[in-house]
Amino acid sequence: MGIVDSPNGRRHKKKGRRQSKRIGFHLDMTPMVDVAFLLLTFFMLTTTFSKSNTMEINIPPEKTEVRVAENNVLTLRIADDAMAYYSLGENAPRKIPLYDTRRMALSGELRQLLREQTKSNEKLVIVVKISEKAKYRHLVDVIDELNLMKIDRFSLDDYTEQDALEIKRAI
Amino acid sequence: MSRIKAKRVGFRIDMTPMVDVAFLLLTFFMLTTKFRPPEVVKIDLPSSHSQLKLPESDVLTVTVSRDNTFFMGVSSQQSREKIFNAVVKSKLQAAGFSAGAITDSLKQFKLAENFRVESGELDKFVVMARFANQKLRPVIRADADAGFDAVNQVIKVYKKANMLTFNLITVLEKEVR
Repeated sequence: MGIVDSPNGRRHKKKGRRQSKRIGFHLDMTPMVDVAFLLLTFFMLTTTFSKSNTMEINIPPEKTEVRVAENNVLTLRIADDAMAYYSLGENAPRKIPLYDTRRMALSGELRQLLREQTKSNEKLVIVVKISEKAKYRHLVDVIDELNLMKIDRFSLDDYTEQDALEIKRAI
Repeated sequence: MSRIKAKRVGFRIDMTPMVDVAFLLLTFFMLTTKFRPPEVVKIDLPSSHSQLKLPESDVLTVTVSRDNTFFMGVSSQQSREKIFNAVVKSKLQAAGFSAGAITDSLKQFKLAENFRVESGELDKFVVMARFANQKLRPVIRADADAGFDAVNQVIKVYKKANMLTFNLITVLEKEVR
């Protein structure tokens, strides 16, 4: 480490009893600078400018009803077995895997389906219903996918017993 | 040929500017560093591609752990005090705590980043937090393997408290599609 001097680095000798005004006294600042650098490296290495990433969701207020024509509704039910069941309107649901087997990403089938459906029908509203027994991960993955595809016409709805019955007649 | 270079013995360099800069950086890092509080539970966040950042102040966080227990945290200390006075104080008084003990637990409560909430009481706490600060931004910080029923309960509580826009905390997914 370097030696830090004050500008006039020469020590003056005391003259007699009266202490002369100390001009340019010498102080070895090496230890202080060493400690300062030590602290600096510590803080630089431990600091991570972390701010969490978030995903914004809007939910409709409790007592509003939006009426959408039946054939404009795509219901996507996600059961606890990580399977997605989609149905257009009142049609019988069809089963497709939610995840790809190789990668931990949504299956290409499901993505293609969502892309095609939204392209063919601009008024399409996607209702996502997730089973209580499913994992939170499924919700995040589905919403993330919809966000990536820039689909904003979707909403979350409760998964009722009727939905559980509905997926039983899945093809 | 050129002159033979004299061996430079004991040369000096003025290190003052470097030390100045070092101290400047040191003070900057020391003042900006906020040590991460010890986590009550380990949360394995789900990944997404969302790049939206979490606001710094006025955040109401409900944490859902892997085993579906709830923790709540409010970022400002005033809100924490209000929540304490509204909900926790009466409970402690009913349990027969002395005034001194209550003040002590208030101090502790104000410093706690997160506190555990029973699932039945979550709505009460969230509504009180909402009363304490109208600008609160509700946030859900749930483990990827937490059950959807627990998360759905939080969403319903937010809905009931008329907080209709909320954020889910995720980590950025590395994989590029």
